[in-house]
Amino acid sequence: MNKARQMGFSYLFLFPSLLLTVVLGIYPLGWAIRYMFYDYKGYGEARFTGLYNFRRLLADTQYWDSVVNTFIYAGGKLIVTIPLCLLLAVILNQKLKGRNLLRAIYFMPTIISSAVMAVVFFIIFNSYNGVLNQYLLKFHIISERIDWLGPKNAMMTTIIIAIWGAVGNYMLLFLAGLQNIPNDVYESASLDGANKRQQFWYLTIPMLGPVLQIVIMLAIINSLKGYETIMVLTEGGPIGKTEVMYLYVYKLFFPTPSSGAVVDQQFGYGSAVGFTTAVIVGIITLVYHVLSNRMNKMQ
Amino acid sequence: MKTEVIPHVQTNKKPKPLRTGKLGGQLLLWIFLIATALLILFPIVVTLFGSFMSNAEISTGGNILPSVWHIENYAEAWVQANFSRFTWNSLMLSGMTTIGTLIVASMAAYVVERMNFPGKALFVAIQASTMFISIGAVVIRPQYELMIKLHLHTSLWGVILILISGHAYIFFILLSFLKGISRELDEAARIDGCSNAGIFWKIILPLLRPGLGVGALFTFCGAWNEYLRPLVFTMNTPELQTLTVGLSYLRYGASAAVQTHYMLAGACLSILPLLIVYMLANKSFMQMTAGSLKG
Repeated sequence: MNKARQMGFSYLFLFPSLLLTVVLGIYPLGWAIRYMFYDYKGYGEARFTGLYNFRRLLADTQYWDSVVNTFIYAGGKLIVTIPLCLLLAVILNQKLKGRNLLRAIYFMPTIISSAVMAVVFFIIFNSYNGVLNQYLLKFHIISERIDWLGPKNAMMTTIIIAIWGAVGNYMLLFLAGLQNIPNDVYESASLDGANKRQQFWYLTIPMLGPVLQIVIMLAIINSLKGYETIMVLTEGGPIGKTEVMYLYVYKLFFPTPSSGAVVDQQFGYGSAVGFTTAVIVGIITLVYHVLSNRMNKMQ
Repeated sequence: MKTEVIPHVQTNKKPKPLRTGKLGGQLLLWIFLIATALLILFPIVVTLFGSFMSNAEISTGGNILPSVWHIENYAEAWVQANFSRFTWNSLMLSGMTTIGTLIVASMAAYVVERMNFPGKALFVAIQASTMFISIGAVVIRPQYELMIKLHLHTSLWGVILILISGHAYIFFILLSFLKGISRELDEAARIDGCSNAGIFWKIILPLLRPGLGVGALFTFCGAWNEYLRPLVFTMNTPELQTLTVGLSYLRYGASAAVQTHYMLAGACLSILPLLIVYMLANKSFMQMTAGSLKG
């Protein structure tokens, strides 16, 4: 076949994909990298200010509070989600009546919009007339309404909701990994007299190693990035208690009068914050990657 | 159905039998599994049954099943709370995004898998990097400005184009499906005088159907559940709001307290179509997630 014609055809077929990716995917990144050195509020003149935005960032306690909140949020979510999902996956990898039904139920939250569920969870956790408090009162589990979305509990509530949404997804990823472990390994282990617990620690975990590593990395990135649920549920409030990094970035671009802390529209500064946040996520991912590789080698 | 004579190769390994050692352990295991299932189902059940309750019953509550089934909640949400509009917009947005994504991604996947041309590795690298680099909502601003220049900011087409531009994941899914399609068929068709475009259209696309199905499912759900972009793009054009956006506005509306039943009916309208498809094809949904690990 004519080589030039093949090339021409290839570029023709690649064109729509490339055009969309460059214009709507890469150009916005360039836009952000340019404006993070500018003072630009979205109206009026953009003024070059060099590294000023980054100096401002270092002193921005509201941002660093949101970084701390993100770590609490991600940490709380992962500490429960990862062991719980691993446990569920190990159980549901065994011959068990109704395991397909259980898998389907656990996975259900994954397909539902987090924005929609945030609205539902607001109705459930709402302190004054929320559904949950009504149940707890009715069955005399509590005697006073719990302020689920108040300053003290809001973070815990958002973590609970995040876990609810994530369980099925990571359980399924672990299951996929477990199904790659050959069966005869377990058979010979039990012939050698290894009990269930020993099999889990000395066979399942090491053999699941690479999958475990990837899934945990995915989970870390996802939990650092997620803010949609929080945005609809609490808008980062009350008094900024559930403000996370990417929600703060969002507010710098699309400020809304909210129950959280009020932020002024600032595109230049917002670009700098967005870029810094991406770097923070990148560094955490990298550190995790290096550490888990080192642990692998030690074993 | 015919009985299988030849033992077929099993792709999934057989599950290990669970040793029924201690009865107490078994009981504990089931309590744990069922409790987890109930906790997962709880918000969904509240949504389903709550959508048939009166507003007063939801907020003074304590019931799981509605005492009186208010089917009219749906009629009222549909008309008064404008959910007919939101549903149509969601359908339009998800449908168009799905069609566009499949066309764009399958064309790119075809040439990347079957042709040789300079810059191929670079193209694949760019696609992969767009899946991992995220600077958050920052990108929405330049995207919005672009759409103003193209006069697409007052229709859903701007959002649709942006969602189609995020087709990297579908591209990689289709690429892996294409690798499973034998090249001999293309070669035979080429000898018969079929053009490249003809091969793509007549041979590749029909054989790619399972991949396109998984891709369509994934894209449609993603677009249907998409919140941020429709929210930002419809700030000045409320008639373009999708279900997710319209619903979240109810949450912040001045009359939120008296509209709980509309909110739940609306939430049902949003999650029920996906739940029904999920019940019919939950294996495909799960394949998608598990497949992302290998891809």
